Amino acid sequence: MPNVWKLRIEQNFGILEFDTPEKEVNVLDSKAMEELRGILKDVSQKKEIRALLVASAKQKIFIAGADIKEIDGIREKKDAFDKAENGKAILQMIEDLKIPTIAVINGACLGGGFELALACDWRVASFSDKVKIGLPEVNLGILPGFGGTQRLPRLLGLVKALPLILAGKIVSSESALKNGMVDRLFSEVTLLGNAVHFAEEVLKGSVKRRKQKAPWFLEKTPVGRALVFHMARKDILKKTKGQYPAPLKTLEVIQKTFGKDSTKGYRFESEVFADLALTAISKNLIKLFYMHERYKKVAWTQFEGKVQRVKKCGVVGAGVMGGGIAQLVSYKNIPVRIKDIQPQALGGALKEAQKIYDQARKRRKLKKHECEYKMGLISVGLSDDGLKRADMIIEAVVEDMGIKEKVFEHLSRITEAPTVLASNTSALSVTRMAEVSRYPERVVGLHFFNPVSRMPLVEIIKTDKTSDETIERTIRFARDLGKIAIVVKDVRGFLVNRLLLPYMNEAAFLMEEGVSQEAIDKAAVQFGMPMGPIELVDHVGIDVGYKVAHILHEAYGERMKPAKVLETAKDKGLLGKKSGKGFYLYKGRKKTPNQDLQKTIGKKLSMSSDEIQKQLIYIMVNEAARCLEERVVEEPSSIDVGMIMGTGFAPFRAGLLHYADDEGIGKVVEGLKKMSESKRAGRLRPCDYLVKMADSGKTFYS
Amino acid sequence: MGRMAIVEGVRTPFIKSWTLFNDIPAQRLGAWCIQELIQKTEIDPTLVDEVILGCVGEPVEAANVSRVASLYGGIPEEKPAYTINRNCASGFEAVTSAYEKIKLGRDSVVLAGGTESMSNAPFIFSKETGNLLLQLQKAKSLGARLNVISKFRFKHFAPIPALKLALTDPVCGLGMGQTAEVLAKEFGISREDQDAFALRSHQKAIEAKERLKEEIMPVFVPPKYKEMIQEDNGPREKQSMQALAKLKPAFDRKSGTVTAGNSSQITDGACVLLVMDEDKAKSMGYEILGTVREYAYTGLDPSRMGLGPVFAIEKVLRLASLKLQDMEIVEINEAFAVQVLACLEAISSAVFAKKYLPGSGPLGKINTDILNVNGGGIALGHPVGTSGARLILTCLKEMKRRSLHRGLVSLCVGGGQGGAIILER
Repeated sequence: MPNVWKLRIEQNFGILEFDTPEKEVNVLDSKAMEELRGILKDVSQKKEIRALLVASAKQKIFIAGADIKEIDGIREKKDAFDKAENGKAILQMIEDLKIPTIAVINGACLGGGFELALACDWRVASFSDKVKIGLPEVNLGILPGFGGTQRLPRLLGLVKALPLILAGKIVSSESALKNGMVDRLFSEVTLLGNAVHFAEEVLKGSVKRRKQKAPWFLEKTPVGRALVFHMARKDILKKTKGQYPAPLKTLEVIQKTFGKDSTKGYRFESEVFADLALTAISKNLIKLFYMHERYKKVAWTQFEGKVQRVKKCGVVGAGVMGGGIAQLVSYKNIPVRIKDIQPQALGGALKEAQKIYDQARKRRKLKKHECEYKMGLISVGLSDDGLKRADMIIEAVVEDMGIKEKVFEHLSRITEAPTVLASNTSALSVTRMAEVSRYPERVVGLHFFNPVSRMPLVEIIKTDKTSDETIERTIRFARDLGKIAIVVKDVRGFLVNRLLLPYMNEAAFLMEEGVSQEAIDKAAVQFGMPMGPIELVDHVGIDVGYKVAHILHEAYGERMKPAKVLETAKDKGLLGKKSGKGFYLYKGRKKTPNQDLQKTIGKKLSMSSDEIQKQLIYIMVNEAARCLEERVVEEPSSIDVGMIMGTGFAPFRAGLLHYADDEGIGKVVEGLKKMSESKRAGRLRPCDYLVKMADSGKTFYS
Repeated sequence: MGRMAIVEGVRTPFIKSWTLFNDIPAQRLGAWCIQELIQKTEIDPTLVDEVILGCVGEPVEAANVSRVASLYGGIPEEKPAYTINRNCASGFEAVTSAYEKIKLGRDSVVLAGGTESMSNAPFIFSKETGNLLLQLQKAKSLGARLNVISKFRFKHFAPIPALKLALTDPVCGLGMGQTAEVLAKEFGISREDQDAFALRSHQKAIEAKERLKEEIMPVFVPPKYKEMIQEDNGPREKQSMQALAKLKPAFDRKSGTVTAGNSSQITDGACVLLVMDEDKAKSMGYEILGTVREYAYTGLDPSRMGLGPVFAIEKVLRLASLKLQDMEIVEINEAFAVQVLACLEAISSAVFAKKYLPGSGPLGKINTDILNVNGGGIALGHPVGTSGARLILTCLKEMKRRSLHRGLVSLCVGGGQGGAIILER
C-alpha cells in the first residue's frame, strides 16, 4: 500500500500532505494514524525544519474525520478506549513539536480532522465554500475522542465552543474565522503559498493571537459557568427529549474537565468515548448515517443517460402544499409558475411562500436581498401562461380524482416532451392520472410532506407506465431541491401513509378501549416519535386524515377500517389543529384533551407504555412486511429511510425495520398474535410474510 | 433586415403614487412585467438579447434599474441590460433604441419598456448639509467634531423632495405645470375647456376598463398579497365638471388655470414589450401586434415643452412620407389637458405653421373621436419613464380590436422635446 502522508521540505518548511490513495476523501483510519506517528517522530528529529504545515492533496477535502467504519466495528470497550487514547497521543505529538505547526484547511475539516487541526498551533483556511469545519460526532452518538472536548473550549471559551460540540454544528470558513476556529483566510488558489508566508511571519513573531472577547462572568466565574452548563443542558433536553445520551455525556465531560488538569481531562474523554461508542444508539445512528449517504445518490433505474436540471417549474393548484412547493423550488433559484382558477388561492400561495421566507430571514438563514430575489421567482396566473415551457409541472389540486384527471388530461395536451407531469397526491392512484394523459410514460407521483420546506423526504411514485428517464429526472429534481427520494410502487397510501395510517388508527382503537389519549401520545413520544399519534391526527387535519383512511379502507379492506372515534370526531365537525378543535383543544401554545370526545367512549383502561408502544409499532411492522412482500419498495432500508425522513420515526432506532430486527421478529409475531386474539382484532394478526420470517429465523436485514 | 415587430406587451396596473404600490420599487415593477411577458409569450429567456428599460427617477439603490429588473424577472445573467432616460419619452426611447439595434442586426430579440415608481422618489439633503456631514465624518478629535456640529442649523435638516426637482426644468426654471400655464396663456385656452377635456379622459378610461385588462397583468401586492389587482386606480367614476371646478390652480395660485384635476396624475407603473425582428417573430410562430413604420424626436423651447408633439409629428410624417389624415388612431400623452389642447390647435393652425413649421404648412386637424380613445395620462396616470411604452401598447391593442392599419403615438418631453412613432399592423 502506498503511503497516505507525504512529507516534503521546501526552504526549511515541512509540508505534510494527506492523500488517501484511490479514495475521494481523506479519512483518519488506524493506518493513517500510525503512519502519522512515524512521520511526526521524524519531523521532531529533523532540526532543519523551522515550521510544519499540515495540508491535504485532495481538492475538496482536508480531512473528513475518523473512519466511521472502524468506530462502527468497535465491540469491546477497551478497544474503543485504546483507539481514542492512541489517537490523542499522536495528536499530542503535534502539539509537543517545538516548531510552529499550521493546519492548512482547503475543504471539509470535520471530526477527527478538525481535532488534528486543533492540535496545531495555528489554522488557516481558504475562502472557498467547500470549507466546512466542525465536530459533528454527537450526531453519530459519540463524542470528539481525539481531544476535541478539551481543545475547542480552551481555544474558543465555553460560550462559543459548547453549541458547536453539543449540536455537532458545521460552519463555513467565514464563520470559522469570525468565531476564532481559524486564524486566517486566504484565496483558494494561493492557499499553500500564503500559508508558508504566514508561517514565516509566525517565526518572526509578528503574528499575534487574537484575543477572544469572552464574557468574563460566564467564562471565568464558577457561578457563570454553572449557568452556562445549566442552560446547555436544558437546551439538549428540549431538543433530544433525553433520548440521545451523547450530547449529555459530552456536556458532562466538558463540565467536569474544563479549566482543569488536561491529562485527566483527555483520559476522561476517552473513557466516555468508549462508553458511547458501544451504545446501540450510536450503532443505529451510524447505520442511519450510511443509509442517508447512500440514498443521497443511489440509482433507482437502469437509465444510463444524463438528466438535466429542471430550468422552469410549474405548480397547478395553489393550496398550502402548492405554495410550499413553489417556495422550495424558488429557494433553489428555479423560476416557478403557479396556476389556479381562484385568485384568492393564488394570493394564499404567495402568502404561504412569503411566510416561509420571513421565517428564514428571522432565523438568519437568508438575507433580505436573497429573500426578495427568490420570492420574486414565483409568479402566479389564472391561465395556462407559463406552463408550456415548464419542464416539471407539479399538480397539487384538491384530492379528487375527477378533478385530477381533468388536470392531467389538460396539462398533457398543452405541454410537449420532455415535460414531466408529477402529482403531489398523498393517496390517489397515479396510474389513473397517467392513463388519461397523452403521454403516460412522463407521468409520475411526487409526494411531498408537509411542511414542504422542512420535511426531508419525497416519495416518487412509479406507475407501470412511467419511464426510467422520467423517474431519474424526477429524482434529480428532488435531490436538487435537497430532498431524499425513495421510489415507491403506485399502491394506495404509497409507503409512508400506508404505514402511518394504521398507526394513527391503532391509537384511535386504543382510545376506544378506554386508554387516555395523553397516555397514548406520551408512550409514542417516549418511544421516539416526534409527536403522539392522536396529536398527529390533529396536525394532519381530521378531515384529511379521515379521507385518506377511507381511501386505504377501500383499498385494503377490513384491516384498515377506520376506528369509530375518528368518524365521531369527523361527524362532530372537528378539524384538528387548524381550527383549534380536534382530539385536543388548542389555545395559543397550550393543548388540552377534548372532553367532548372522551365522553363518547365512556370507559377507562390503564395500560402500560410498553403495551401501548407495542400495539402502535407492531402493526406498522406488520404492514411494512406486506409492503416488502408486494414489492412496494425493494429494500427494507427504503422503509427505514422513508419512516425516519417522512415521519420523524425515532432516528436513534435506525428506523422501523431495524427496530423490528432488534426486537426480534419472533417476538413481534408473538405479540401481534396475542393482541389479535385477546382483542379479537383481525387487523392485528401477523401477516404470512412476517410469520414465515419468524419461522425461518430470518430478519428484515438478513 | 426586416421590420421591427412588437410581438406582445404587458403592463402593471397604473397605481396612484403613495397608494397600493407605495412599497414597491421600480426594479420590482419592471421585473413583474418582464416575468409576466415571458410567461405570456412562452419565450425562452435565453433567446432574449437585451433588456432596455426607460426610467426617469432611477432608484438610488438600483443603479441601472433595467439590469436589476432583468435579473429579478428571470432573464439569464449573461444577457445585458441598460437603462435609458429621455425624460417623459424614456419608454419610447427604449423601443426606438431596440428598433435601431434590431435594424442594425445587433439584436434580434429585445425586451423594451419603462418602469417608474414615483412613490419612491427620495428626499434629499442640500449640498451644504452633505458638506457638513462629510466634515463630521473626517473630524478626528472630539473638539473637531463639536466644532462641525456647532455649524449645523435647523435648515440643514429640511429634506428636499427629489420629485419636485425632477419636475422642474433647470434651463428655463419653470416647473412642468408652469410650462402648461405658458401654453394656456399663449393659446388662450380656458379652464372650462381644460376641465372638460380632463372629464372626457376619465369617462373614456372608465368605459375602457374591461378592454384595458387585455394589456394589464394581474398583480398581488407583497407582503400581504391581499387581493388580485388588475385595474388602474386613477380613473374616477364620479368625476364631474363641478368637482373639477372646485380645485385650485396648482401652479399659479392667482391667475392660473392648470389644476391637479386637469393634469396627469403622479403614478407608479411599468410596461414592457417584446420586440423582435419581424421575420424571426414569424418564423417562431408568433402572431405579432404590429410594426414600427417610422419614429422621430425633436427639440424646442423648454418653456413650451408641451408643444413637442406638434414638431415630432411633423417630422415623423415627413420621414414616412405620410399625411396626418393617414392616421386611423392617435395617442397623444396627456401630460396636461391644456398641453394636448394646445397641440391640437397648433397642428391645424396656419399661423403657427407659418411661424414654426415653415417647410410644411398646417398638418391638418386631428379628429378627437380617434384621439386617446381609452383615456390618457389625466385619468390613467403618467409614470414618466413608462408612459411611452404604455402608449404604444395601448394603441396597438386598440388597432387590433378595431382592425386598423395605421396609428400615431406622440408625447411631449420635459426639457423641451417631442417624440412620435407611426405604428402599423
